[in-house]
Amino acid sequence: MRKSPLSLSLCLGLALGAAAGLAPAAGSAADGGTITLGRSSDGDRYDPHRSSALAAAEVLYMVGDTLVTLGYDLQTLHPGLAKSWELSDDGLTYTFHLRDDVTYCDGRKFTAKDVVGTMDRWLKPDAPNVSTWKAGNVDSITAADDFTVVYKLQEPNSALLYQMAQFNFVMIDPEQAEALGEDFGVTAFNGTGPYCFESWQPRESVVLRRHEGYTWGPEFMSNQGPAKAETVIWKIVPEEATLAASITAGEVDASYSVPSWSLAQFEADPTTALLRPEASFRTHYLGMKITRPNMQDRKVREAVSLAIDQSAIADAIFFGTAEPATAYYSQKALDYNPEIDQSPFGYDPERAAALLAEAGWAKGADGVLEKGGEKLTLTLYGFNNSSSREAAEAVQSDLRKIGVDLALELYDNTAIWGKLREQTYDLYQMDYPYLNAGDALNLYFLSANVPSPNRMMWEDPTTDKLIEDGNKATNGDARHAAYAEAGKVVHDALLWKPLVNESLVVVAGARLKPFQPHGISGAGFNNGLTLELK
Amino acid sequence: MIGRLLHRLMTSFLVLVGVLWIGFMMLQVLPADPAAVIAGPTGTEAEIEAIRRHLGLDQPLAFQFWLYLQRVAVGDLGRSVINNASVAAELLRAAVPTLELMLASMAWAVPSGLLLGAFAATRRGGLMDRAVMALSVAGVSVPVFWVGLLMIQFAAATRFFPIQGRGGPLWTAEGLSHIILPATALGLILIGPTARMTRTALADTLSADYVRTARAKGASELRVVADHAMRTAWLPIVTLLGLQVGTLMGGAVVTETIFSWPGVGRLAVGAIVSSDYPLAQGAILFLATAFIVVNIVVDLLYGVLDPRVRRSA
Repeated sequence: MRKSPLSLSLCLGLALGAAAGLAPAAGSAADGGTITLGRSSDGDRYDPHRSSALAAAEVLYMVGDTLVTLGYDLQTLHPGLAKSWELSDDGLTYTFHLRDDVTYCDGRKFTAKDVVGTMDRWLKPDAPNVSTWKAGNVDSITAADDFTVVYKLQEPNSALLYQMAQFNFVMIDPEQAEALGEDFGVTAFNGTGPYCFESWQPRESVVLRRHEGYTWGPEFMSNQGPAKAETVIWKIVPEEATLAASITAGEVDASYSVPSWSLAQFEADPTTALLRPEASFRTHYLGMKITRPNMQDRKVREAVSLAIDQSAIADAIFFGTAEPATAYYSQKALDYNPEIDQSPFGYDPERAAALLAEAGWAKGADGVLEKGGEKLTLTLYGFNNSSSREAAEAVQSDLRKIGVDLALELYDNTAIWGKLREQTYDLYQMDYPYLNAGDALNLYFLSANVPSPNRMMWEDPTTDKLIEDGNKATNGDARHAAYAEAGKVVHDALLWKPLVNESLVVVAGARLKPFQPHGISGAGFNNGLTLELK
Repeated sequence: MIGRLLHRLMTSFLVLVGVLWIGFMMLQVLPADPAAVIAGPTGTEAEIEAIRRHLGLDQPLAFQFWLYLQRVAVGDLGRSVINNASVAAELLRAAVPTLELMLASMAWAVPSGLLLGAFAATRRGGLMDRAVMALSVAGVSVPVFWVGLLMIQFAAATRFFPIQGRGGPLWTAEGLSHIILPATALGLILIGPTARMTRTALADTLSADYVRTARAKGASELRVVADHAMRTAWLPIVTLLGLQVGTLMGGAVVTETIFSWPGVGRLAVGAIVSSDYPLAQGAILFLATAFIVVNIVVDLLYGVLDPRVRRSA
């Protein structure tokens, strides 16, 4: 009776556990075994045309292939399902020569007809599809013969080949998509990737089996196929502390969704390895809505930018896993312009105060700046998760120091997208993945994308013209020149305060051989060809 | 007895319609848009509109609810707007693990609570009584997620138990080893209230005349407590346990998330977070129904436990 029920049941469980011999269940390394990958959230559906989620990308890269692939530097193009391609002189027609040895998981041969079918399904007008802008302004996509695809554009698109390496361009089985309808990518997915889609239990796990006979992996990888592991399980562990503990306990072999605070602990643990990709681009920033009364003045925007100490945010909130950013996109990204003046994006509270004084703002009795009886009060919309909340609070306290009163309104993941389409806030906080400078510029700074995702309401003909020039450039130099200039214009306009560049960190457990993560779309395991048990 | 039951069923039906309406309206007033969620951070206005049309979200609200009621009336809970899965099938698949978890936690927590309460009641005012009461107050006050996280740290360090997920059928060694941590964490919620209620109810009856008579005729202490006093004390305890099932379901949501247990709680949270209206509605309906069923069962148990109830009906 004195014994607490807790310890009683623990003792009971202990005996049971010992009896069951609770070693992590796994096959021997000879047949490749089972690798369990952990993550905190599940995809909505595994359909490259209808999902924009990272969780969908993670699986789609493994079960399917793209025509073109990108190297570890995210700058060099490599063959994928297409072994080579040519571009016409006018920059409008791409001709892709496909490999002739590719088969789907069900054994059917992959041909040019499947590329056409895939693209037709994605670009079908009025369908509930996402990210179609990545495909460019398509005129027609046709099969010249069984292994030749002619991709014709209405206007040149210098970004197309880079975008084609992304998961939305994963080649599907168009017949299966037609037959399954709404269940496509839910009950089944027939792909050409290194793994075959076996089953999906939403919010629990996705099970993938090795695609026997797969030999067409990208040449830059250490393994072109078949995959080393017999089975890959993508396991959902919603609570991040549990996920971190699962790696220590050997129940999960690798993950990059562990909380930042746990990384120091894994670094100290000799059985786990921290692996980082050569390049991976995700930038956290504060966007400024320049149509709002107080944000119209560039001096106020620069003062807000200079008042915020992003190094402190990088150290205290990201535990050093992110570096402070002083540009809208990483300096390692393709077409970054090194001549951009980064001084307005640093930390200089004195200069911030001076700029506000220049703009006519003076401190009132309560320490908040005033001009003509109006207080300098701003509203920030942000995400209601722990790292965003802490970053928003840091921003609030930094701004308070120069006399700006910042109201925080944080919303859950589902609610915020609707709120961000309103015009009732001055600043918003977000992080975004991108491929290169052109990707970032096209997404956020075109006037055609007002009011969303161009939430700054930046409508500028010069920017539009430069981005268009970059998009339509038919050679790399012209593209670089135009994007670099566009980058300079939007940085000079002070539309964002860049906070940090977050880098992907894969924690690999004791059973896994170290491998090179890939940074594309933030899906670090990429196609899974390099995953192998010790 | 039958009349009572019918009456209960009638009122329960009205409660369910109310739950449907409130659940539907609450999901509508949330400033969430599933179309915007699906389109993601880079979604354009045109894409979001196309997805909205596809999901039928452009229809008037009252019309959407009417369509929903019609479907529910014929037993069709609809399909998830996110992945087209049948809501009924998803609920059934999640119901079994939740039921397992709740039963497993009750299986150890209720007897422990009863024993602790009875123990305290027979030593009322003594040191042991105070210790048990302190323990039960602690059990009520310590949040389940905190206990859960501590257990996970313990299990990760010692590797005695699997930390996450549900393994094998429950009756195998693997199944049992998976359920021990979550069931222990969840059961702690129940111990406190059960022990306290048992102590109070038993303390009242232990001083009653008939207990004195039982003692006087020479019955053993065990028989006095378990047979005579407990008979009367059951009523308030069963009432409390019925009510605690609701608390347990709330705790199950947290426990399931921490231990990656694939139950209804996680399903409901996941559906609400992804604005999956039909699935969230289905989960709310399911939890409400479960709660009502438990209450009816408690009502029926009164009849079994208390002859007066049987006779009055």
